[in-house]
Amino acid sequence: MDKFLFLFGEGIKNLWRHKLTVFTSVFSIFLVLVVVGVLFIAEQNTQKLIEYMRSKYKIEVFFVDSITDKQAEQIVLEIRKIPGVYSTTLITKDQALQIYQSQFNEDLLEFLDYNPLPSSCVVNITRKKDGLLHVKPIINKIQSMKGVDSVNHQGRLINRIEKFYEKGLLGLSIVAFAIMLVTVMIISNTIKLTIYSKKDLIQALKMIGATNSFIRMPFILEGIFQSVLGASLAAGLLYGAVFGVNVLLGQLTSFTLHVQWTFLGWLFLIAVVISLFGSSRAISRFVK
Amino acid sequence: MIKLENASYSFKKGFSLSNIDLTIDDGEFVFLIGPTGSGKTTMLRLIYMNILPDSGVVRVGKYSSNSIKKRKIPQLRRSIGMISQDYHLLADRNLFENVALPLHVIGYSKSDMGDLVIEMIEEVGLTGKENHLPDELSGGEQQRACLARALIKDPDIILADEPTGNLDPVTAFDLVKLLEKVNAEGTTVFMASHNYSLIKSRNHRIVEIHGGKLRS
Ligand SMILES: Nc1ncnc2c1ncn2[C@@H]1O[C@H](COP(=O)(O)OP(=O)(O)OP(=O)(O)O)[C@@H](O)[C@H]1O
Ligand SMILES: [Mg+2]
Repeated sequence: MDKFLFLFGEGIKNLWRHKLTVFTSVFSIFLVLVVVGVLFIAEQNTQKLIEYMRSKYKIEVFFVDSITDKQAEQIVLEIRKIPGVYSTTLITKDQALQIYQSQFNEDLLEFLDYNPLPSSCVVNITRKKDGLLHVKPIINKIQSMKGVDSVNHQGRLINRIEKFYEKGLLGLSIVAFAIMLVTVMIISNTIKLTIYSKKDLIQALKMIGATNSFIRMPFILEGIFQSVLGASLAAGLLYGAVFGVNVLLGQLTSFTLHVQWTFLGWLFLIAVVISLFGSSRAISRFVK
Repeated sequence: MIKLENASYSFKKGFSLSNIDLTIDDGEFVFLIGPTGSGKTTMLRLIYMNILPDSGVVRVGKYSSNSIKKRKIPQLRRSIGMISQDYHLLADRNLFENVALPLHVIGYSKSDMGDLVIEMIEEVGLTGKENHLPDELSGGEQQRACLARALIKDPDIILADEPTGNLDPVTAFDLVKLLEKVNAEGTTVFMASHNYSLIKSRNHRIVEIHGGKLRS
């Protein structure tokens, strides 16, 4: 136990002696973990975000003017059968007029002697994420139906957003991996510096008959301290950021991030693994 | 017991120790004398197995250079106290901490080591200087501090490499007397020096080395 306290103390002293380089290591760990954390959070919310976007997304189908309500109902039933369609709502000419009147507060029939609004149908698409959504075939099918006049949609937009999102996640993963490699180097350099500045101590310990693991332990602990420090900062930032983003989102939309905070444990694990890589790289070369 | 049997070692860059035969019995006090560059430090390095002989054998206690495993070398060194030319006190620790260092390695608890360290510091006559950093000690005091650090783990063997290096004759003499006191308590002492005048009056066995070879 006392032996461990001694080694622990040595590790802490090492940290204090090289504040600036230590800061660089801690900061790079922090950076890696923030990026990885964002990935975790994004991944956890992919499903929810896409469902949210799809629920907001709708296709408006306008029917030709000559159509009867019965015929319209018939077409709506067929639209309903198209795979990928979640729900349909028929708006008859009369309903359209009512909506118009309640929204604009004026009576169209006052200066027109007929109802100019076509009957239409609002189509919602499936919310469940199951690969990228392909709205194009749905739209084509609706457009080719008899009695359909025009279709309003933002088909490409949703597709683009989904693609962009997935590419973004991939890009972020690559970035995270790259920073991780750099961080291993930076940590290894920091430890190398400490080792170099403690050549006297290392030599003394060897003369006295300290085992290699005894000599190495403070350096390994130093690396772990750095990584735990970086991980704590990253965890704090992520927690605060999610909180802030949710306050903002809550004011604008009904979508908020939902995060399973247990992933922070993984962040700490990743941090420790990175630091072990870094310090063992330095140690294996300099403490033989 | 320290035993070198026909031990040879060559540095890649030229110098070599050749065919060294030497036996030092337990409890003996032996001087190793020779001019600078003759191989004294190299020979001591063979004994604490910092280097292993190219041919021949070095035996120290129950360890032998041709069978010792790398991870057993620390154990061998725990039974040896080193006072070396270039193994100084740690500049950023005070006298007490420097002397206590070997106890940390062996795994003493902090509460147990206090008395031992104080006692050891007293034995080498440095009581009252526990809080001094090495550069707040005189050269002679530093050497005695090194001796205290070597002695604290109660070693079977003391290897002293030029321990009187830059000390004035009186202080150097004091240090040798300290080593003799330790030797009288049963510790084997092997001390390298090129200061013949210091050694000749002391009535111990003298081994002479020249250009990497022993002379009798
Ligand atoms: N690592 C090394 N590589 C090559 N040559 C070395 C090495 N270490 C020492 N030597 C050479 O070996 C010879 C003996 O060195 P050593 O240190 O044993 O001498 P010494 O007797 O201790 O001298 P001094 O009294 O000055 O301490 C010297 O000529 C030195 O240059
Ligand atoms: Mg020498």
